[in-house]
Amino acid sequence: MLIRLAALWKKECLALARDRHGLAALFIMPTVFILVMSLALADSLSGQRNATLAYATLDLDGTPVSRALDEQLSATELLNRQVSPPSEDDARSQVETGRLAFVLIIPQGFARQIGANQTPTLRFLVDPAIPGMVRNGFRQHVEAIVIRVWLAHVLEHLGQSMMLPELHRVTGRVGAPDIVLESVTHGGSGGAPLALPSAVQQNVPAWLIFSMFFVVIPISAVFIGERQRGTLQRLRAQRVSFGLVLAGKFAPFVLVNQLQAVVMVAIGRWLVPLFGGEALTLPDGAGALAALWLLSLAVSAAAVGWALLIASLARSSEQATVLGGGGNILMGAIGGIMVPRFVMPVTMQPWTRLSPMDWALEGFHHVMLRQGNVMDILPAAFMLACFGLATLIAASLLNHRISRA
Amino acid sequence: MIRFNGIYYRYRPGAPPALDGAAFNIRRGSVHGLLGPNGAGKTTLISILAGLRPLQDGSITIDGEPLAVWRAARPNAIALVPQDYAFYPMLTVAENLDFFAGVQGIARKQRRHNCLEAMRFARLETVAQRRADELSGGLRRRLNLAIGLTGAPEILLLDEPTVGVDPQSRRFLLEAVRQFAAISRRTVLYTSHYMEEIETVCSDIAIVDSGKVLAQGPLSEVKGGQNLEQVFLQLTRDSAWE
Repeated sequence: MLIRLAALWKKECLALARDRHGLAALFIMPTVFILVMSLALADSLSGQRNATLAYATLDLDGTPVSRALDEQLSATELLNRQVSPPSEDDARSQVETGRLAFVLIIPQGFARQIGANQTPTLRFLVDPAIPGMVRNGFRQHVEAIVIRVWLAHVLEHLGQSMMLPELHRVTGRVGAPDIVLESVTHGGSGGAPLALPSAVQQNVPAWLIFSMFFVVIPISAVFIGERQRGTLQRLRAQRVSFGLVLAGKFAPFVLVNQLQAVVMVAIGRWLVPLFGGEALTLPDGAGALAALWLLSLAVSAAAVGWALLIASLARSSEQATVLGGGGNILMGAIGGIMVPRFVMPVTMQPWTRLSPMDWALEGFHHVMLRQGNVMDILPAAFMLACFGLATLIAASLLNHRISRA
Repeated sequence: MIRFNGIYYRYRPGAPPALDGAAFNIRRGSVHGLLGPNGAGKTTLISILAGLRPLQDGSITIDGEPLAVWRAARPNAIALVPQDYAFYPMLTVAENLDFFAGVQGIARKQRRHNCLEAMRFARLETVAQRRADELSGGLRRRLNLAIGLTGAPEILLLDEPTVGVDPQSRRFLLEAVRQFAAISRRTVLYTSHYMEEIETVCSDIAIVDSGKVLAQGPLSEVKGGQNLEQVFLQLTRDSAWE
């Protein structure tokens, strides 16, 4: 039995080593994804670096109150204030060409409205390419500053009319509160505030999972070739059971998946920083590493099972590429690989649970972001293993039917 | 002696039988030709003997033992050489041979010996390190045959082994088949559409049509002094009328 298995394993390894397209899908594609996405989303996900969201104000009021609004807005770390445009037409032109993301127009009479306790009307000129979430964030930020400006004005007015100079001093202290963000992690409460997960921390597990499922390309290429050339039939005539053929494919590709995990982690840790991104940090402790390894084994089981099912269903390599590649992209889209689950509408979020990639990502997040251990990832690992087993059984039944036809 | 007795096989319930009581004998040590038009049941017969399809009715015995019992005692004793190039194009000739010997459970030393023998027999030594997808059609046919020999089989099942090869390669393959059978008790079951091949290489034949064996025995007896093609056409035409 071992001699037979060793022969099957060796053949799979040789076939994969000579399959340039398969290797590219397994190693180069996720490397590029991790590199590009980690750098592209560095500012959006980390919150630790200044963004370069360019904006300008057009102050048509020119009063101390409107200037106070402008100054407080320019103190915002996430925004990059540009020189005020000379006119609204010029402001519009700069937004239209994409040089400015926003222009805040403070209308004439703004200070008078504040003084009269009337609701002032501010106008934004917005680049339509700016996401709604960012637009709303900017709008709420401006609203908060206007309320602070208005409150300072009211307190100062009250101080003057009630002859209470303390109120005048209070107005100088009305500002944005300091807010400390703390990541809630496994056993991490009560400690020092932890850094929020960076883009590389989010992207390495996501694209690793995605690439692990891409074993469907090399597996189906070899398997369909075996079926079309009559090699599978020849193996059956040599009394090689289909279970043995499956085992012959399973172990080498699980090994390939583990190699992918090591390579992708290395890329996150050492290659991404070379391009200016943040380095991937792995959780400390043997428990966390054991959890990561167990989880990657479970992902392998699911990915290889899925690949064998696709290879059994497809009649040609082209079909397998469409079914397997398309299926992976769909699982990735639903499963929060391409669009994080928290960005999705609330009505769509429960649907992510249908994708094995979501189970895997949830497991990796438990360990890599929340400092979880083996117990935390067991449900995800169990579901992935069940998925792998179910797809293997389906592949076996399908092949049994095909071989009897 | 390999005895086929009343072999019946139907692919699906309700479908016409692919084999309908086929019965014939193959002498051990002979090259036995299996002749028949497309859909006659030749491949089904070979598939059953190779263990690819179950025996639904009838019996097959080899040297007096039921096929399953005989095979269980000699796992690599029957080898199938299919019509397709059933090997791995991305592997070299040597790697293909080693793989197919390995999946038969042959240990490393014996495997090495068997592969060298098979390579020598098919005269593939000079292309041992070439990838299979770089070989010509004739060399691919030889590799297909050599793979069948890696388990040192007693019974070789050849399904249209010369399709698509040049005359030189065909001559070589036919000579190789004769040499294989010349070794004590090695038996070849050979299917082909080419009458001249059957006449060149086979000592016995069976003519099959519509799942039945229409004639069988030594080639000269079946021919009865006539041209083989005439006999074949006469028998299969009669079968079609019936």
